[in-house]
Order: sequence, then C-alpha cells, then structure tokens
Amino acid sequence: MTRIDFVEVAMDSLRTNRLRSALTMLGVIIGVAAVILLVALGQGTKNYVEEQFAGLGSNILIVTPGKIETKGGPPIIGSTRHKLTLDDSRILEKKGYLFGGVAPVVFGTAEVRYRNRSRNVSVLGVTPAFQDVRNLHVEIGSFLGEADVDARRRVCVLGRTVKRELFGNANALGQTVKVAGTLFRVMGIMERKGISLGIDIDDIVFLPVRTAQEIFDLDGLFEILISVRNRNDIESGKELAVSLLKRAHNRHEDFTITNQAAILSSLYTILDTLTYVLGGIAAISLLVGGIGIMNIMLVTVKERTNEIGIRKAVGARNRDILLQFLLESTTLSVAGGIGGILVGMAGAGTLHFLVPKLPVSVPAWSILLSFTFSAFVGVFFGVYPARKAAALNPIEALRYE
Amino acid sequence: MGFEAASDPLLRLRGVTKLYEAGAGRVVGLSDVDLEIGAGEFVAVMGPSGSGKSTLMNILGCLDVPTAGTYEIKGTPVAGLSSDDLSTLRNREIGFVFQVFHLLPRYTALRNVELPLIYAGVPRGERARRALESLCAVGLEDRKGHLTNELSGGQKQRVAIARALVNRPSLLLADEPTGNLDTRSGEELMEILSGLNASGVTVVLVTHDPAIARRAHRTVYIVDGKLVSAERFREIRG
Repeated sequence: MTRIDFVEVAMDSLRTNRLRSALTMLGVIIGVAAVILLVALGQGTKNYVEEQFAGLGSNILIVTPGKIETKGGPPIIGSTRHKLTLDDSRILEKKGYLFGGVAPVVFGTAEVRYRNRSRNVSVLGVTPAFQDVRNLHVEIGSFLGEADVDARRRVCVLGRTVKRELFGNANALGQTVKVAGTLFRVMGIMERKGISLGIDIDDIVFLPVRTAQEIFDLDGLFEILISVRNRNDIESGKELAVSLLKRAHNRHEDFTITNQAAILSSLYTILDTLTYVLGGIAAISLLVGGIGIMNIMLVTVKERTNEIGIRKAVGARNRDILLQFLLESTTLSVAGGIGGILVGMAGAGTLHFLVPKLPVSVPAWSILLSFTFSAFVGVFFGVYPARKAAALNPIEALRYE
Repeated sequence: MGFEAASDPLLRLRGVTKLYEAGAGRVVGLSDVDLEIGAGEFVAVMGPSGSGKSTLMNILGCLDVPTAGTYEIKGTPVAGLSSDDLSTLRNREIGFVFQVFHLLPRYTALRNVELPLIYAGVPRGERARRALESLCAVGLEDRKGHLTNELSGGQKQRVAIARALVNRPSLLLADEPTGNLDTRSGEELMEILSGLNASGVTVVLVTHDPAIARRAHRTVYIVDGKLVSAERFREIRG
C-alpha cells in the first residue's frame, strides 16, 4: 500500500463525515487561534513599552544619592549620608575615560508665569551635557551653555507644551518669564518629544544647574546621568563610577548607580514571561481540542468497527488500519491548525484595527509553535484510538453491528 | 473436473480442531476435521446453526487459525502465521461474500470493489480498470458510480462478488450469500456463482438450504463441529 493510498483512504472517510470533521477541527482552530491571538497581545504590550522607552538609551547609568542596604549592628559613627554634588559630577567628567557625557540634574517643581498666564511645571537644572546624554535637543534658539551655568545666569529653555500654554503662537525667544518668582529670559525652545510613560517631556522648564540650586535652595543634586561611550562597557563603566565616587566620599558607598538597560531588560523579561503565560493558557485550550479529537476518533473507531472488519477481511494489515486512523486524526488537527492560524491572524489584525495604539504583532515563532503543537496533538491523541482500531479482531469486527 | 479430489488439493485440513474459551469452560467449534478441496471445485458446506459452519468458514478464510491440526493453502501451512501475514494471504488468495453484504456504506460500488486492490498496492489507474472489469463480470458496470446504500440487495451482493473476485483469488468463500435476498435475486446470484465456477473459480458455499446446496458439485455436512456423512446428517435432521 503506497503513501498516496493512505491519504486517499483517510480523505475519503473524512469527507463522508463532513460535519463531524468540521466540528472536531473547530476545537483545534479555537485553540490555535487563541495561542496566536494571546501571544500577539503579549508581544504587542512589549512592543508598546519598548516604544515608550526607546528615547531613554540603553547606555545610561543613573547615580542617585543614598544607599539602601541592610547592616548588622549599630550604625558606624561618621557614616553620614553624603549628598551628590557638582564636584562629584566634575570628578566623573574628568576621570571617567569610559564616559561620553556626565549630566548633573537638579529637580524641582515651580510655578512659571508669563504676563497673566501661569502653569505649574517640572523644573530641571542641567548642564549643556544634558542634551546629548538624555537625547533631548533644542529646536529654536540655543540650549544652556557652560557660561550660563558658571555665572548662574537667569536664563531658561522651555519645553514645547510650556511654550504653547504660555505664549500660544507668539514668539517666546528673548521674552521674560517668572519661574518661582524670579525673572528668566527665554533662550530656547525644545523639540517635541511627546509623552513617555505618562510624563509629558514637553511640559518642563530647563535652567542652568547652579541657578536651579539657588532657586530651590539646594546644594546637592537630584541625580547624575552618565552616558557610557561604548554600550559594551556599561558594567565596567559602572565600576569606574563607583570607585571614583567612593574615593570622593571617604570610601563610603553612599550612593546608588542603576543601569537603565538592566531595568529595561528585567522589565522585558517580565513582559516576555507574560507572553509565554498567555500562550500557555491558550495552549491548554489547544490541548482540550486534542482531547476532542481523541474523543471523536474513539467514537469513530467504535462506529466503524464493521468497516474495519471489512477492510481487514479483504487484506488490510494492522499497520494499514493504524496509519489510516492516525492520518485521519492528524489531518483533522493539521487542517485545524492552519485554520486556527488564519483565524488568529485575522483576529490580531482586527484588534490592531480597533486599538491602533497597541502594536500587536504575530511573531513567527508563535505560528510555528502552535502549528507544530497542533500536528503533535493530532498524532498524540490519534495514536490510542488508531491502535485500538488496528488491534480489532476481524471476525468480531465483522459481527459488530 | 476438479471434484475428483486432485493429488495436490487447493485446501487441505488435517485433524483441525478449534476450541473457544467461553467463561469457565471451553466450547468446541470444530473437532478433528479432515477435508480436502481441489482447485475448480464447487463445494457446499451444510449444517444447522451452531454446528461449526461459521468456524469452518473463518478457518478456511484465514480469519482464524486452528487450535490444533494443520491447514494448508496450496501446500502452505497457515499455522503460525502472524495476523498481518494472514491479512496478506486473504488479500491474495481468498474472496469473501457475506450474508449481510459487508460493503462500505457511503462509498461507490467501484470504490468498494477497489478495496482489496488498495491493500494489494495496485496503482490507482490499474485499480480502477480492474475494478470496472470485475463489475462488468457481474453485470453492474452501469452502477459503478452509485453509493452502495442506493443499491438493491441483489445488486449489493453482486458488488460483493465483484470485490471478492477483483484480486483473482484461488478461493471464493460465500457465507449464506442468498440469505438476505428474495428468491429471484437468490436464483440470479446462484447463476453467477455457477458461471464463475464453470470459468475455473473454486467456490465454497456455506448454507443451510438444501436447494442452494444442490447447485454445488459436492456437499459436506457438519454437525456439532464434526464432519458427517449425508445419511447420518439426514438421520440427525430427522
């Protein structure tokens, strides 16, 4: 018996039971479609987060003051909490040969006022290095310069939203605004960046860092951003920053350095896990579909006992019967798998159409995996009924009505 | 003619016994049966129900193997063959005609006749050609595309005969072939079997109807699993 004949025999019997074949396939179709759709959803969520973080750069180290740690015994005298200062920033800049830029940041909130319009905004005190480190650039006018920082000049750069809210379409360059009650001259407008993680990056006013310290009456820094020149040096860059700052802080590690990439990668790990969990839950429904196939095949074997007897009487060997039934179940599951992939992709397309913000995507691995799994399900759940069919005694099978 | 037992018979049974395990005890299906059937013979097997006719049929048809004794087809002993080997043997050497037809429903007459050829590994084109030839032999070529459940009983049994003959077997085994047919269809069917036998096919026919058995060249009688003479059979039947 050639391979073609098996296909013919299996197709023949699937055709004679069209409705039942279709209903059995439906179980697999739903299972595979669920896998494809839920994985697409998980992947879409990850893509969304990735987009949101795209501007942040993966080569950034963030130094913040203070250290959370657990120590045994009473605190050692003299281990006072050190602030991060502009001196620290300068040391990192001077001796950090791995660093592309070092940007000290002071953070506060203040009211900014132009004539009769006012607005509460975030205020960042920065140095010129901030532009490249944070990848935020001025669009109109110019950014804060070294001289502005050193001389504590009363100049500012406005984010897009601040500019629009205070000035509308009017020219803002060279105008004077009040920040926390002090007059500042506007020297630049930032390019539009939009909302990232719910924070409007365009709703910020930038001041020279020393000026900001004066306004907010601070002598420390909120954080120091360091960009590492070569992405591969991110770990050694971190060690370098630690040793430089410890030397400056009397060997105390009273600061924390976090790695942007590490935070992101752990977040992505969580999102990947979420995708797998969703896919796994969907896979359970695929498994149920497989059990449906087994159920139907068992009923089929019972119902077609007489047919099996006839086939054996005219010369079908056990293997011929086994392969026929196995091929029937596999055909059901593979056809169901293909149908499920089409339905799942159509579903993902519809979802993308309904929620354009969510960049759903169907990864190739999910198609491959669910298809392979559905084929496997057909074989796995088909083996038992097929073996049962093959093992039937021809005399008893012929007698069966 | 073949009914004068040939020196090398087609089928040879020697001391064939078949026991069935049934609950606590054993049931004797056949007991020490000796039988030879030559090529080209037309033999009827007669016996009351429960006499062992079906058991003999199953053993002759290689659907079952004897518990004791030997059975040879063309000199080849059947004992010790695996179920797959028996399948192959049935496929090549034996054609079955059953009382209840045993055709695949929802398949066309032609597909039913093709069935043994599928398991013989005959390629598709040749399969269809030979199946059609076989349908012609029973005069049903114009019904080849009909589903078997659309056919009359007589037509069904003729399709079954076409199927039994399609692989040119040595032996045609017919188990009460007219049992489910009206008198006229039964007559027609017996004409076909006689005609086939005349053209050289060996036919073994199981029946309880003496009128049918008279068509055969030779009749063997079976009672309680044993072969008996015609006189003894009439005695028992009263």
